[in-house]
Amino acid sequence: MTVPETERSKISAIMRACRVINRMNQANPDAPKSEGLYYKMLSDYYTRLLNAHDEGKFIAAHTVFFPSEILYAMDIVPMHTEMTTWMIALFLGGQAEILSAGAELGLVPEICSPHRGLAGAFSLGALPRPDAMLWSNLICDNTAKSGELIMEMKKCPGFFLDHPFQRSETEDKYLISELEDMIGFLEGKSGRKMDWDKLSDIVAKMDRQIELFREIGELRKAVPSPFPNRGFLQLLTVDYLCPGQQDAIDYLEALRDELAEMVREKKGAVSPERFRLMTLFVPPMYLIGFMEKIGREHGAISVVEPLFTRWAEGRLDPSRPLESVAKKAAMIPERRSMYGPLGQEALQDLIDCAEQYRVDGAVYWAFMGCRHTCATVKLFKDLLNEVDVPMLTIDCDIVDPTINSEDEIREKLEQFFELLEDR
Amino acid sequence: MVIDIKKSTSLPLKTLERFRQVNDTFPRTEQILEHKRQGNKVFGWLCTYVPEEIIHAAGILPVRVTGYSQEMELEDGNAYMYINNCSYSRSCLQMGLRGEYEFLDGMVAGSTCDGARRLLDLWQHYIKTPFHHILTIPRKYTEKAHALYYQQVVQFEESLEEFIGQQITDEQLHQSIDVYNRSRDLLKQLYELRKSDAPPVSGAETMEVLNASFRMPKELFNQWLEQLLDELGKSSVAHEGRARLMVVGSVMNNPEFIRSIEALGGLVVTDELCTSTRYWSDPVVLEEGQDPVGAISKRYLNNFPCARMVPSDERFNRILNLIKDFKVNGVISQIIRYCVPYAHDLPLLIDRLKGVGVPVLALDVEYGTSGSGQIQTRVQAFLEMLEARKR
Repeated sequence: MTVPETERSKISAIMRACRVINRMNQANPDAPKSEGLYYKMLSDYYTRLLNAHDEGKFIAAHTVFFPSEILYAMDIVPMHTEMTTWMIALFLGGQAEILSAGAELGLVPEICSPHRGLAGAFSLGALPRPDAMLWSNLICDNTAKSGELIMEMKKCPGFFLDHPFQRSETEDKYLISELEDMIGFLEGKSGRKMDWDKLSDIVAKMDRQIELFREIGELRKAVPSPFPNRGFLQLLTVDYLCPGQQDAIDYLEALRDELAEMVREKKGAVSPERFRLMTLFVPPMYLIGFMEKIGREHGAISVVEPLFTRWAEGRLDPSRPLESVAKKAAMIPERRSMYGPLGQEALQDLIDCAEQYRVDGAVYWAFMGCRHTCATVKLFKDLLNEVDVPMLTIDCDIVDPTINSEDEIREKLEQFFELLEDR
Repeated sequence: MVIDIKKSTSLPLKTLERFRQVNDTFPRTEQILEHKRQGNKVFGWLCTYVPEEIIHAAGILPVRVTGYSQEMELEDGNAYMYINNCSYSRSCLQMGLRGEYEFLDGMVAGSTCDGARRLLDLWQHYIKTPFHHILTIPRKYTEKAHALYYQQVVQFEESLEEFIGQQITDEQLHQSIDVYNRSRDLLKQLYELRKSDAPPVSGAETMEVLNASFRMPKELFNQWLEQLLDELGKSSVAHEGRARLMVVGSVMNNPEFIRSIEALGGLVVTDELCTSTRYWSDPVVLEEGQDPVGAISKRYLNNFPCARMVPSDERFNRILNLIKDFKVNGVISQIIRYCVPYAHDLPLLIDRLKGVGVPVLALDVEYGTSGSGQIQTRVQAFLEMLEARKR
């Protein structure tokens, strides 16, 4: 299976889009400092990727929730495959082309669109050729199965990182041994050595990053809540692209300070704040602007996203860097409710979130490509019902705009807001 | 007596009727109800990475949880599991929610795929079978992966012992290994018959036998299968078809689907299904003095792999071997919608099969399908193409 390389890299286009947004922010005296830092971080990430081969660096493509801390510590340039597909959708509107290319490879529509898209993007030559493909079963069958096709298309070596489903001493040790094997694989293929001191430093920064995520989460409990609807997608991006990186910390600290000031001044992201929402899964990427707009129009604000922004308790230990990388995999918010067994603790956490964040209603974005998440729709609805929180479910696709229209989503949300109002 | 596979709807195989009766009455079969009447326990299991011998050694009857035997409206399955989970898991869940498996004392699954693990989550929450267990199933075959899986099997054994209030002895495990290996050996003999140019048993009939194999006590199954093999040995029946086919893909246990292919003249001679070859293919190899749990765990992780495992070439190579051994002319891939592991593998599998000149018919199906009009049209066209290649 050979795919011709083309020069149509969309990476430079993503980078340019980030730079334009950044220049617009700089020209706006009211734009928060954190926005500038966020887009600079994005722009730098993609600049590094774009220039990697020219600078003789090794590019490792990897799936979501992959411990890219290890790549940074080895001076390997990471390429987050799903996130990059999302960026193409978000900034360039290139969904149709890449999804169509994925279909041409024989990937059926039931495979989640970011994975069909990333295979399509590789086949089009829209992404730089990776020197290695890294993938894992965290978080689903799609991530577990997406690596081999890319390896074959791009004729590159690959490593599959096997994440145990549950947690026990044996399973934790297994994951650590998998990480060790992966480091061995990368050292062999890239000719670079693991810099353990650098990994310790990255782990320390990651620990700080998690602390900042938690502080931001606490600030969002305030009434009115200071964090805009689009914000949580930025939080995801930070962790996905720049774990344990200084530019991520700079952004999060600036954001934390801005939110703290808003809380002190009792300023909300929407005014007046009428509906405090719990967001389950992710709204479509291409509707971020729309979500901001409808939020402002109706005073509706997402205050908590249990599947994505609620980190488990625990600290990372820089003196035990590899163990900490493994531990982080168990602490990420997505692990508890999306990947691991849905035990009582995970279910109770959902109820706790509703209460602690004084949630009026929940919106579940039922992404049709994410089967294991959607399997929780009724369960979560039943649980939230027990604490008198109504839940709206909207079928959607996170990158493919042909599934729902903006009007249809507006109608559903407005009906839901009416219901909340009547209560 | 040469039988055109298109007309082979009623064959004089007496033992097959017994298997049919088990399947027709499942889940409330005479054997399961009798087992319960005697005060014994019955456990459901969900995928082929669950080590059945451990359950059997505990004196519990292991029964594979399957969904409806035909394509059904899945109102409850859809409501509780959402429409985008595979219809196999939705079908199983609906049967559970409607009390069809209320006799189960336990439910065991592996973290095989998203559908299986979520099915267990929801089963646990809404159906409340007394015992639940899920095993972490590694996706690799490395020594470390084997060590992890071994530990999972030991942990499962310990949980089971706690539940039943007694220890499972090595002697019991040895006996269970013998019973299950005998079953595997007999099923292998059944499949060997299908290698001939004109086999005495059809693909649909084989699937009926296989369905019964995980729905009744293995000891009785073995007796019946011995009788069936004896009958087949004496039978002058010889099935011939327009092409020799292999069925691959998602979980599938509806013999009507195979029958619909055979009704068009396609002779299904082998398969790569977790309800068929992948269920029975590898025996537990127990060396003298070896820990039986170690031997069992080694067999289950090394068995003919599901598409979940990495690297996929382990599975592809096994498929290629079967194609050669069974003289297969064409492959029918049937993938249940939203069965992602198999869907992801399909482009690579087609590529491998193209390399050996074997055409593939790729069907998107729902669990329980018996082969609708559209499927029949596509199978018919596929058979015509295979025939044209012969000329």
